[in-house]
Amino acid sequence: MIQVNHVHKTYPSQIFALSDITFEISEGEFVYIAGPNGSGKTTLLRILFGTERPTSGEVFVNGMDITEKGFHKIYSLRKTIGIIFQDFKLLKNRTVSENIRFALEVTGHLRKEAESRVSEILSWIGLQGREGDLVVTLSAGDQQRVAIARALINDPPLLLADEPTGDLDAQMTNDIMGIFNSLHLKGTTIVFATHNIDLIKRYPYRTIILLDGKRVDAKKEEGVKVRG
Amino acid sequence: MISFLLYVMRRVFQNIKGNLFPNLATIGIIAISILIFSAFTLISVNLTSFLKVWEDKIEVMVYLEKEVPSNEVEELLKYTRQLKGVEEVKYISPFDAMAFLEFKLGDQKSLLQGIQPEVLPPSFEIRLKKEYRNSIRMKEVIFQLKQVPQFEEIQYGQEWVETFSGLVHMVGLTQWVLGGLFLFAIIFITSNVLQLTIASRHEEVEIMHIVGASPAFIQIPFYAEGLIQGLLGGGLAISFLYLLHKVFLLTIPPSIQIWLARIPILFLPPWTILWILIGGMVLGFFGSFIAAVRFLKYNA
Repeated sequence: MIQVNHVHKTYPSQIFALSDITFEISEGEFVYIAGPNGSGKTTLLRILFGTERPTSGEVFVNGMDITEKGFHKIYSLRKTIGIIFQDFKLLKNRTVSENIRFALEVTGHLRKEAESRVSEILSWIGLQGREGDLVVTLSAGDQQRVAIARALINDPPLLLADEPTGDLDAQMTNDIMGIFNSLHLKGTTIVFATHNIDLIKRYPYRTIILLDGKRVDAKKEEGVKVRG
Repeated sequence: MISFLLYVMRRVFQNIKGNLFPNLATIGIIAISILIFSAFTLISVNLTSFLKVWEDKIEVMVYLEKEVPSNEVEELLKYTRQLKGVEEVKYISPFDAMAFLEFKLGDQKSLLQGIQPEVLPPSFEIRLKKEYRNSIRMKEVIFQLKQVPQFEEIQYGQEWVETFSGLVHMVGLTQWVLGGLFLFAIIFITSNVLQLTIASRHEEVEIMHIVGASPAFIQIPFYAEGLIQGLLGGGLAISFLYLLHKVFLLTIPPSIQIWLARIPILFLPPWTILWILIGGMVLGFFGSFIAAVRFLKYNA
């Protein structure tokens, strides 16, 4: 599903964000990208999502080399990738259903089709009855549910999550992790960036650890078993 | 396709509604720019039409030496008729000229009492072929006439023709210079306002990128917004100019109206209106295109 080969990322100010990162993620795997703040987790996710280009190295997602020069179909690839952020990235002045429907409308789905998909996903994520609520009136946990629903609306086989529980309390974190576990059991490939070691201990999956842009878990990885 | 068009229209409506004041300001500025350009076009159209009416009536008067014998007049008449650019030549004898003068003086013809027709020179009234009825080609005929020694004086309203043609040329030049300046102004203003629109919707644009919206879905609504701004601006300008034209016609004093009866004050021809509207739309589109290239790519 994902293949990252010797990826380096240096910003114009000569600050390196990633150094010689190599790993592979199989279809259906749940993988943590762990590390303290500034270790390069977000940069790595942005590269996997195609919003950043590595300075060198190769990245294959769904069999497509997204680092290839002249790769213009990134938007098509993004339809097959769901992405979730710590700050949710929702349209605050819109309702729950409008936020989710927006993702369908701008990717060419008919309004009628969008309506039924939205109600389906809201029911699955546990937000039925809240369709008409403005996003600002929701709790942080429910806002993250809306963001997850939006990420899943196109039924993507790959889900990238950048610190999705970073701003949530323990109860909400458990709820959100429950959703991620369900998705994992359904076969969705999940790449989950976090700095929360307790979370990794509670929900142990293969973990790629970054420190100052370098991978520091290479020896340990062989011993980590994929659960699920 | 229809669903995409509906999506585009919905987005354009949302964008305009969400940024009503900047959009109205852009439409207003486009309208003012196009109005000034169209006003010069209208002046140019009317001056050209007036020049054409005048040119159609253009005639050359050749006064012969008084001593020219009548048999020589016949020869000269024949010679003049075969000159290049001459359509018709009419001989006006001193008696005809006197009769014309009397007619022109009307009640005051008594002023001519005691004056013998012989004091007036015989003349040729020369009507030129259509393609020679302009200040440039007319000179070719005048040059040929000047070679005839028996022709004492040639009158053709040269100053009038040249001044008027110069005026028409100046108006046309001003129209296009202003048009060029407004072209840049419209593109600059539209692109900046659309950048504001895009900036105010940056969250939506960012989410569109995140969920995999294609460039067409992201950019086309902004292009359509530019097109609509240009169309509305152009439409407003033409409507206002039409109103001004009507008001102008109503305020002309009756004495001038009689004089103008033979020279109609025209409004812009339909094709010109269509081109101005299309021009407004194209400029609006370019403005939005520049805004999209500068802003949307940066966020991609």
